[in-house]
This record gives sequence, C-alpha cells and structure tokens, in this order.
Amino acid sequence: MDLEALVARLDALRDRAQQAFAAASSVRELEEAETAFLGRKGEIKSILDGIGGLPGPDRPRLGAAANRVKGELAVALAARREALAGAELETRLAAEAIDPTLPGRELRRGSLHPIVETAREIARIFGQFGFVVYEGPEVETDELNFQLLNIPSDHPSRDLWDTLYVARSGTASDDARYLLRTHTSPGQIRVMRETQPPIRALLPGRCFRHEAVDASHGFEFFQVEGLMVDEATSMADLRGLLDAFAHAMFGADRPTRFRPGYYPFTEPSVAFDIRCVVCEGEGCPACQRTGWMTILGAGMVHPVVLANGGLDPERHQGFAFGMGVDRIAMLRYGITDIRYFLENDLRFLEQL
Amino acid sequence: MRVPLSWLAEFVDLDISPEALAERLTLLGMEVKGIERRGDDWRSVVVGELLEVARHPSADRLSLTRVRVDGDVLSIVCGATNIAPGQRVPVALPGAILPGDRRIDVSRIAGETSQGMLCSGDELRLTADADGILILPADAPLGRPLAELYGDVVLDVDVKPNRGDALSVLGLAREVSAATGAPVREPRIEVPESGDETRDHLAVEIADPDLCSRFVGRWVDGLRVGESPLAVQLRLTAAGMRPVSNVVDASNYVMLELGKPIHTFDADAVHGGRIVVRRARPGERIETLDHVERALDEEVLLIADPEGPLGIAGVMGGAGSEVGEETRAVVVESAIFDPVSIRRTAQRYALRSEASLRFEKGQAHGLARLGADRTAQLLAEWAGGRVARGVLDTHPEEPAPVRVAFRPARVARLLGADIESAEMTSLLGRVGVLTEPTGEAPGTLVAVVPPHRRDIAIEADVAEEVARVRGYETLAGRLPATPMPAYRPDPRRRVDELRELLAAQGLSEVVNHALLAPDDHARLGIAADDAATIGVANPVSAAHTQLRRSLLPGLLHALAVNERQRRLDVTFFEVGSTHEWREGRPMERPALAILAAGDWLPGGWAQPPRPADALDLRGLVAWLARRLGLGEPVFAPLDARTGIEHPGRTAAVLLGGGRLGRVGELHPRLLEAFDVRAQRVAHAELDLAALLAAVPARRRVSALDRQPAVERDLAVIVRRETRAGEVEAVIRHAAGELLRELRLFDRYEGAPLAEGEVSLAYRLRLRAAERTLTDDEVDALVAGVVAALAERLEARIRD
Repeated sequence: MDLEALVARLDALRDRAQQAFAAASSVRELEEAETAFLGRKGEIKSILDGIGGLPGPDRPRLGAAANRVKGELAVALAARREALAGAELETRLAAEAIDPTLPGRELRRGSLHPIVETAREIARIFGQFGFVVYEGPEVETDELNFQLLNIPSDHPSRDLWDTLYVARSGTASDDARYLLRTHTSPGQIRVMRETQPPIRALLPGRCFRHEAVDASHGFEFFQVEGLMVDEATSMADLRGLLDAFAHAMFGADRPTRFRPGYYPFTEPSVAFDIRCVVCEGEGCPACQRTGWMTILGAGMVHPVVLANGGLDPERHQGFAFGMGVDRIAMLRYGITDIRYFLENDLRFLEQL
Repeated sequence: MRVPLSWLAEFVDLDISPEALAERLTLLGMEVKGIERRGDDWRSVVVGELLEVARHPSADRLSLTRVRVDGDVLSIVCGATNIAPGQRVPVALPGAILPGDRRIDVSRIAGETSQGMLCSGDELRLTADADGILILPADAPLGRPLAELYGDVVLDVDVKPNRGDALSVLGLAREVSAATGAPVREPRIEVPESGDETRDHLAVEIADPDLCSRFVGRWVDGLRVGESPLAVQLRLTAAGMRPVSNVVDASNYVMLELGKPIHTFDADAVHGGRIVVRRARPGERIETLDHVERALDEEVLLIADPEGPLGIAGVMGGAGSEVGEETRAVVVESAIFDPVSIRRTAQRYALRSEASLRFEKGQAHGLARLGADRTAQLLAEWAGGRVARGVLDTHPEEPAPVRVAFRPARVARLLGADIESAEMTSLLGRVGVLTEPTGEAPGTLVAVVPPHRRDIAIEADVAEEVARVRGYETLAGRLPATPMPAYRPDPRRRVDELRELLAAQGLSEVVNHALLAPDDHARLGIAADDAATIGVANPVSAAHTQLRRSLLPGLLHALAVNERQRRLDVTFFEVGSTHEWREGRPMERPALAILAAGDWLPGGWAQPPRPADALDLRGLVAWLARRLGLGEPVFAPLDARTGIEHPGRTAAVLLGGGRLGRVGELHPRLLEAFDVRAQRVAHAELDLAALLAAVPARRRVSALDRQPAVERDLAVIVRRETRAGEVEAVIRHAAGELLRELRLFDRYEGAPLAEGEVSLAYRLRLRAAERTLTDDEVDALVAGVVAALAERLEARIRD
C-alpha cells in the first residue's frame, strides 16, 4: 500500500475513533475504545505495521501523519474522559445524598462530676494567686483534727462538729484516737509542718460529719481549705482574695460582705457572704430573707495553731479559709438538693 | 438564743427597726438567723369582757357567753371550762384571722349563733395552753387589738460557743449597745429581805472546790405556787421556754435574762438544810427530774444533803427535791461549776440542757450572787415569797479582772488597716474593755477585760474586738503583695488528665459514698468483722458504717439507681480512696474503677448497638495507658474471685512488670446481690498510685524513620489452651528489635482447623533504623519466628 492510502486510512481511523470516543457512555467504554484504536494491538498499530512496505523517504511522512492523528486523538480522549469522569462523579455524589435532617451516629456523652469540677475550679482561681494544692488523709487523729487546731477535748466549740469516730484505733492514747476528718483544716497543720513560709496552700477533700441527711446536709461532703502564711499577710489581704474569688466564681459585680464569725483555730474569725444568687438581695427563702448567703468561713490563723504548725507566731501571720464545695457547686449550678451529688443519677450528671 | 425585743428593750434603747437591728447584730458577729413577729398573724382579735356564761341548751360541753367588746356585746359559743363572768379574754371578731390562716366568722354551733370566738393561748400561738381560754389581766383595755398589747418581735440569734455571755438578754443588750452606742441599763436588783437569817435555815459545804468555785444560796419561804404573770409567761414562751409555775419560771427567767442557770430545791427535801457539793460515790443513784434512775460515780458532781443526792450539779435536779404545787419554801442555788465537768456529765447522760449549755461555756464569778438575788426578788414578786436575810456565799470576793497586753501596731498589722491606738481605745470602750498603759514596754497597752467577756485572753482577741466594733466592712481589701511560694507540681494534674480522657471517651464520672454497709463488703468476700476494715463507732445509718475497701460496691449501687430509672446503658468511672488498717494504722489508697453495662456503642438508625464486655475495658485501659505515656500494658491470666468475677473473663493488667489492677466482667450472682438487672457488667479496678507513678515525668520523642517498613502477616495455629499472650511473647522475642509493631488482626476457630485448634493472625511491622531491609533478611527473620513458635508452642503456620 502506498503512502497516500495509508494516510487516508489513518484519517478514516481518526474519524471513527472520534465517533467511538464520543459514543462512549462511561470511562470504562472510553478505555475500551482507546485500546481498540490506540492500544498495542490496536488499529493504529496495524496501520503502522504497513510502514515496512513504504519506500524509505515516505516512512517519516507516515510517522508524522500517525503522530498527528495520535495527538488529535489524545486531545479528544482527554476531553471525553474529563467529561465522563465528571458526570460519573456527580452521579455518584448525587446517589450518596443523606437527608440533611437525619441525626448522626451517636457517641456516648460522658460527663465529669460537678463536685470534682467545682473543687478544680476553686483551685484554678486560687492558683492564679500562687496557691498550690496539697492533700491530706480522710482518716485523721483527734489530735490533728481538733487538738492542734486549738480545740481541746471537752471544749464547747466541739459542738460545731458532730464527729464520726473510728471504731478501733491503732493505739490506745486519746490523742491518737482516729476519726473521719470533720473538715479539711487539719491540713493547715500538715502543710505548716511540711513546708516553710511563704505558704499559699489549698487542700481539697472529702469530709464527714454525724448529720441527718436532708436537702442541704449530708454526712459526707467536700471542702477546700486555704492557708496563706508569711510575715505580713493580713485580714485586708484575706478580704481582697476572697472578693477576687467570689467575683471569679459568681460574677464580677456580685457584692460581698465580711463579718465576724467564730472558729477556735482563727482569731479574728470571719464569715464571708455573697449577695444572694437567687433573689439578688430582695430577700427569699434561700437566703433566709437576709439577701446574703454565707459561702465560707475564714480568719487569721490563731497563734496557737501557728505554733503547733512549727511556726513563730511573733514572726509569722496569715489567714486560713474553708469552704463547702457542695454549697459552692449548688449555688453555681442552681442545684437545690445536696443528695443529688452522691446519687449519681445520669439524668443529673449528664446536665453538666 | 431567741430574744423578744420587748425584753431586750428593758436593758437598752432600740431606736431602729427590727431588720436594721438584726443586720447590725449580724455584722457584729451575733448572726440573726430569723425574725419572728408574734401577733402579726392575728387580725381582729381584741380584748373582751365576759358578761355572762350560761350552759348551752343542747350541748353539755358548751357554754353560751355574752362578751362586751368596746361598745358591742356579742354572743359567742365556747367549749372551754375555765371561764367566768368578769374575766377579760381574747375575742376573735367575725372576719378575724388567726395563726395558720384560720378565719373566724359568724357561725351556728349546735343551733346557737356564735359571733366570733374566744381564743386559747395556743390558738394565738402565745402560750402552749390549748385547753382553756387565755385569761387576760383584769386591767387589759377593752376593745384594744391584742397585737398592740401582746405582739412582739423575736430575734433568733446564733450565739457562738465562745460567747456564753451572750446567751442572755442582758448579754445581747451589751452587743446592741456596742452596735448602736446606746448605753446599757444594768439590772437593778433589790431583794426584799425579811424575817430569819438565811444561815439559820441553810448551810453549804463544798467538798470538791476544783469543780465548784462558788455557791450562793438563798432561802425563800411562804411561797404560793401558781401561774406566773401573763407577761412573764408570754416572754418565756416567746424565748422558747414553756411556762411551768411562778417558782420554776423565776429560775428560767433569770437564766434567760442574766445567763445564769439557777436551781431551786423544795426546802422540805433538803435534810437539815445542809447542802454538800461533792463528787458522787460509786454505786450512788439518783432519780432525775425526767424520772429516769441514773447510776453515778466519782466523775459526777452532786448537790447533796446528808441523806444523799439532791441533783446532778448544773445538769438536772433530782425528782425528790422538785418544786411542786405543795412547795412552800425553796433553797435557791446559784453556783459556778467547772465547765469541763458539766460538759462531760451532760454528754454522758445525754442531758444537754439550757442550763448545762451555759455552764459549760464558763460563767463570770459575779453572776452567782446576781442570779441568786434576782431569783429571790422574782419569787417575792410573783409567788409572795418571804426572802430570808442575807446570802450564803462560799466565795464572795470578786477575782481581779483579766488584763491582756496588746501592741496597737501589731493589731493594725494583723488587720491590715491603719488604726491609731486612740481609736482602738475608744472602740474597746464600747464593749466595756478599758485600756491602760503598761508602764513598761513602749507601744504596748493593757486591755482590762470585763468579767463576762471570758473569750478575750490574747492579743489576737483584742484585734478581733477592735475589728468587730469598728466593723469588718471597714477593712478595705487588697491583693497580697507578699513573697510567692516556690513552684509545686499539682498532685491532681495527672488525675484530672485521666478523668478528662475517660469522660471524652464517653464515660461518666461518679462520686460515691466512702462509707458502705457491711453487706457491701460481705458480697466482695470481706467478712463484716474483717480486722482490716475500718469501721465507724457511731454511724449515721446502718447503710454507711465501714470505710470502703473497694470502689466496686458504690459503682454497682449507682448502676442500680440508674437502672431503676430505665437507664440501662451505663459507663461509669470513679476516682477515690479505699481504706484499711495496715499495722495498726489507717492506710488510704487512691483507686480508679470503671464499670460498663448495657451498650458500649449506642445503637441508632445508622448503626446497630454493641453490648459492653471485658474486651471493651481491656481496650480502654490499654488506650488510657498509651495516652498517659505509660506504654503498652499486658493482660495476663488471673484467678477470678469466686462468685464475684466472671471465672473466664478476668485478667490482670501488668505494666512494666508491676501489677496495675484487674479487668474483666462481674459474676451474675454479684450483680444479683446488688439488685443490678444487667446480666453482663464489665469492670476494671486499677491502683491509681501505681498508675500515676508510672506516668513519665517527661515524654521523649524519637526521630521518624525514613526507611519504609515491611509488613508480614503470620497466621499461627496453636491449641486453644495456648494464650495469645504467650504467642505474642514468643514472636516478640524471636523477632527482636526490628519488630516495630505487632497486631493481632484475626482469631479463627473451625474448619479446616482441627477441633481444639485456633488460628491467631498477626501483622508484623518490621523496620531497621538506618537501612532498607532486604527480602532475604525479612524471610530469614520470619523463618526464625516460625521456628521458635513451632519449638516453644508446637505451633504451625497456616498458609
């Protein structure tokens, strides 16, 4: 066959191939057409096989013609592939549509306990002022829980704490009689004995008292104790810090009140109130119509307690405070029944 | 302490509203817990005079009365029997409202019209008497609203244990004076003495002066026991005490007014008029006023006569010397006892009374005489008593006042406020504390403390008085400017990280009681009387008597609580302490426990639910260990606790050779015992201290290998009894350090494997640090692994 006939075949092949590409309705059909025309055993190959019968000068011409046709077909192929692939993708995506209003796959919710989180928030706030966390044991001795805190045996102030005593103790002596700590205050002694001023310590923990259970009392509850001792910390510093705390926890514009309280281990002693979070001062049952709620007790550490902690009361001074985590959490979240905390009903826990 | 303002006003002017007064007292440290308005809930109740009292024509128990009220005369039916013409009584007019929102209208009672009601003391909540009509004094003004005559405001003051002096109307008047500046009118007591000398009737011997520092006695005879004046009864009722008789009321009145507990003995019962204050003898007994026979011993202080005990000093009198209707003469006892002794005795006999509460807080020496005189005066006024001349007083001399040295500069430093010493002197003066220079140390003053203020003993007490009278609110707050403490790592940081990880995995944190019932422990195989269990001597309830030795019971209770609310898919964790005796000392160990019941993966329209089992918790524990940087924990065989854990699903969690805890499923019998409905409950209990100790202080990151990893899969066929852990250990050992990851991706039993065989398919990821592994190298390594498996475990490889 001569050159012209072969070139004519190439042109015809190009036309048929273009038709076949256009007719392909899927990427797969397109690829079949590609193989049929351009593959190793395809039609172009068979035309080019005729090159051997051409005279030498014609051979490059046939090559050039074949390359032209191949180039044209490659362009057509690419355009068609793009079109087909795009259409197929769109079809697939359309078929994958999900009702936008359907819910997703559910995960378990999970939750953190409000008591622990509130204690943590308290520690975070005081942490900003340099307070660091210490821990003390839940089973304490009478000595640490009371005597070293200036609460001797048979002292009337013991009425402030209805104590749960441990049935058997390790030793017979009265000082070492074990009890379930009634407050986190024994931590004051522990910290003073463990470290040296300047002290800024926080002691969170579970406490126990012999109390009948109702909506605002439990025999197990949680406290955070604070202790700050150096050579100059005064009641003015106590007021400043407690105000900062109250504002962080209950809002920057919440009024506070500082008034005398009584604890054997502080002198002077303080009760710290915030404006009632329920009635905002109008007077309601939650605040016994006073417009104020007491959130913690505090005071300047008693010289006897400083001395029991191994410090020199002439040189060192500072304050301590103790607050009920349960109460803070109740005010913070608007919880009206303290019993929720230890019931662990998920209807309660999963609100937080 | 409940204090009626009408009473308080006798000692100090009250020129401000009850609310303002309450706030002032609260800011002074005398917290007012409540304000009660007596008479506020009476509407249209007025004074009336009975004109006629006649039998009701058709009802025997009723009377028909005619009552004059101002101008009108009303017909009122009445059921009480204590009425007679001429008496003045409270009349609830038609339209009146009584306490409890009780409305009184014109009504017909057994056929007769009643134009209102005559009221008892109880109906008005004035006295406790519900049987009779309240008979008013003959001079009660007709037609006057009762509220104007007998209404009162009562403050409920929370008096702190250090202020026994304020457990009295006089003491609170002193506080009002400190708050308002109005002067206190000290009580003027004049005793109308006549006739015999007291010492002709009475002698007192104090055998144990360490327990009784003063005894003042008086003798009053010629008494006519009856009701106290109405005003007295109303005051006592308002203050929370029940009126009894004029003689008993007199001692209660003095206790409330002055804070001095008084006891009166029927003089006939005091043999020979001889009183001995002594410790009880072993074997002695006394019947106390509450008619309980009590055994005594040397710890108890008695008021006795030569025949035996008359009463337990400061705590409760004896039934044998009780004042009754027949009493004509009394011995008045006004004594000072040792506070500790009184407190111990009162606690021992569970007889905490208003009297013992005041004694145990300590009493000013001078109160003894004051109380005796005031009581004698009231007995004369209310009961016609004749007071013998003179008093019997064992220790009449007043001790010197307490003097407390203080440095104004130090007080100012403690308070953080610039207060001059002159101001301090003036503030202290308002609570009766006088200041003097010491004469020795410059800059030091002496506070001379009035005898009733037993709470002022050191410089810090003086500082509190200064701040209190000045007002705590005057101390301006500031943020500390003192040196900071050294850095200290937060011991809770890792625990908080762990808690957040678990919550993010969908678990809910719980906090359970630390105190459990013995049954809770018994179900875990710990006997109720196990020697290592820490028990409570005086538990609040039988369900909470022992400190928990495991977190498991609490978690199961919490699960049951939620199941009862039809919440069946529950995944809980708790971080808390467990307790036990260890060598005679309490030992507290932090623990972490996890519980999973119901679905681990919640079901929904898009996915089926999957119930939780032991493998979920193994996975969770392993994940937790990885996240906390502990490395890969190993699960090892562990004997299940019989009847507690699933016998085939319990595993130990090992980490770096140490045991971290256990993970598995609970025995259905245990679940049943805790009233848990779920049949399958997975649990993990981990030693939190060991876990936290394993957390690396610093995490290190190794450089990434650029070399590609080679993966080979190996299906190992072993006997079913062979543990996967063993297979894994052999593979790891044989493969050596080129093995970077080993993952079990399939486990298969059944054809074509023989019965009792199992195929464990592992993927090995191999990589050398500095070079590409060759195929030959990998083949040789795998061959070595296969050989080791064959040799050690008789394993073969599935093609």
